[in-house]
Amino acid sequence: MKLSTRDRLGDILSYAFMALMFVFFSWPLIWLLSMALRTRKEVFLGVSRLIPKYPTLDNFVAVLTSSQFPHYLINALKLSCLSAIGCLIIAAPAAYAFSRFEFKGKSAWMLGILAFQMISPLVIMVPLYRYMSRLGLIDSHFGTIMVYIALGVPMVTWLLKGFMDGIPRSLDEAALIDGCNRLSVFVRIILPLSTPGVASAFIITVIAGWSQFLVPFLLITKDSLVPIGVGIFQYAGTQNDSSIQVLAAACLISVVPAIIAFLALQRLILSAMTAGAVKG
Amino acid sequence: MSARAVRPKLPFLWATGRHNRVPSPYPWLMPVILVMGLFYLYPVVDVFRYAFTDLTLLGGEGHYTLSTFGNVLMRPELLQILWVTFVFTAGSVLGQQVIGLAMALVVVRSEKRHLFGTTILRTTALIAWVVPGIAGGIIWKMLFNEAPFGGLNSLLRLLGMAPVQWLSDPDVVMWSVVLSNVWRGTAFSMVVMYAALKAIDPSLYEAAEVDGASARQKLFFVTLPQLRPAILVNMILITIQTLNTFDAIISLTGGGPGRATEVLSLYTFNVVFRNYDLAAGSVLSILMLVISLGLALVYAAFLPKDEKA
Repeated sequence: MKLSTRDRLGDILSYAFMALMFVFFSWPLIWLLSMALRTRKEVFLGVSRLIPKYPTLDNFVAVLTSSQFPHYLINALKLSCLSAIGCLIIAAPAAYAFSRFEFKGKSAWMLGILAFQMISPLVIMVPLYRYMSRLGLIDSHFGTIMVYIALGVPMVTWLLKGFMDGIPRSLDEAALIDGCNRLSVFVRIILPLSTPGVASAFIITVIAGWSQFLVPFLLITKDSLVPIGVGIFQYAGTQNDSSIQVLAAACLISVVPAIIAFLALQRLILSAMTAGAVKG
Repeated sequence: MSARAVRPKLPFLWATGRHNRVPSPYPWLMPVILVMGLFYLYPVVDVFRYAFTDLTLLGGEGHYTLSTFGNVLMRPELLQILWVTFVFTAGSVLGQQVIGLAMALVVVRSEKRHLFGTTILRTTALIAWVVPGIAGGIIWKMLFNEAPFGGLNSLLRLLGMAPVQWLSDPDVVMWSVVLSNVWRGTAFSMVVMYAALKAIDPSLYEAAEVDGASARQKLFFVTLPQLRPAILVNMILITIQTLNTFDAIISLTGGGPGRATEVLSLYTFNVVFRNYDLAAGSVLSILMLVISLGLALVYAAFLPKDEKA
């Protein structure tokens, strides 16, 4: 095939656009990394030391050996993993029912669940804060996890339902004929076959939990119980220009776990993400 | 339904076992119903109740009153807040949609031509999308740092341009916030548009080619009309997302300078948790609900009817 001038021009424009976009999306992260690796002196040299002359890991050491930061990370891990497990336990049976049963008002139920996603977490936090303080669940990880679960359930239900739709119904029917009841069909056949869907739902919920700010910011006041999202916000509030390199290192540490989790399952997460939007 | 109908023996077998009844879905739905009822429905109902009281977070039972509604909606700063919210939302949604679509188009074209770099670009954009809102705000605050060594100003100086007061100039700050939000959000639109582009029936392009359509004609008469439903759904999703954005702004500007970037969600937060005015915050929450619902309905009206299902 001969390359026409038109095609070649199009290629050049495509490359130019992609390069521009690449710079736009990567620059903030490159800058963050550059700052995190600098000594205090080099911070003030701006972009001319994008690649630091005297790179150092001291900032990371300072963050990881500080008294609060390891707590922030462990709290965030605990909150996001437990809430993701809770989400799956609550959403999976509903997803099975939506995928396999025909019942009155099914699509209304499904849309109703999705509609909750439109509601800003801030709206429900206004009364929830009041309930939680009455119930003595302020500064409790349990209360926070319950709210995380509620925030995650709609999406997880839809994701799992979509995944289970792809498992042939004939498997259910064969098992039912062999004398399984619905529950054992669900536990022994559908759940094991849904592992990829469950895994991507789990990772998506963990990433969402890791990014949570509003809920723990309101429900947790004790510094030792705070997860990373709140911890880094409060930490940033106490920093100034002379310690910007430490803040950059802290920020990088808070971002990297989410990025790694995402990259590990990128393909699964992307298909899950787009399924809802494209099918409508 | 249909799977059972085509197997003549199944109904008989089904009728013999304890599975003959159509299973009730409600035991399966119960956990979801409980959690959503307790943590969403009940609070939302309570928000409507609080809006007719004078409750505060400082304790006390409060009294029922109709005046909170009027007082909040007549507040002089509310108009400014709504305008800021509008500019932020419209800017972010348009930016994300246009750039996301452009990226998807270029990536699809480049993949067809086996150009290098599409995966790297897609992954980089998605990494920005995964960055938590608070961290995103902190990262952009470093970039927007107005000292000579700031991430953008030192770049501008290198290019011989004047520094910009990214965060302290009230006329500029909104665009800085929109820029940071577009950076974080565009990947989602790109992925949705990419999937929608891939779903277009290739025979449409073949037919267009037979008719001698130019690349531009193919874009305007095949691609864009085919993308319409996906674009609308995507716009609904990102509009609601943007309206609810709060963490990325609180860590970038805190709503300032003055009230230049105080969007409705941040304002609601401040009213409830800084001024402890639960009743007023509830009225503002209802306003947020009404706005998202209204926008969703407006977009939905543009969806082609047969493709809704």
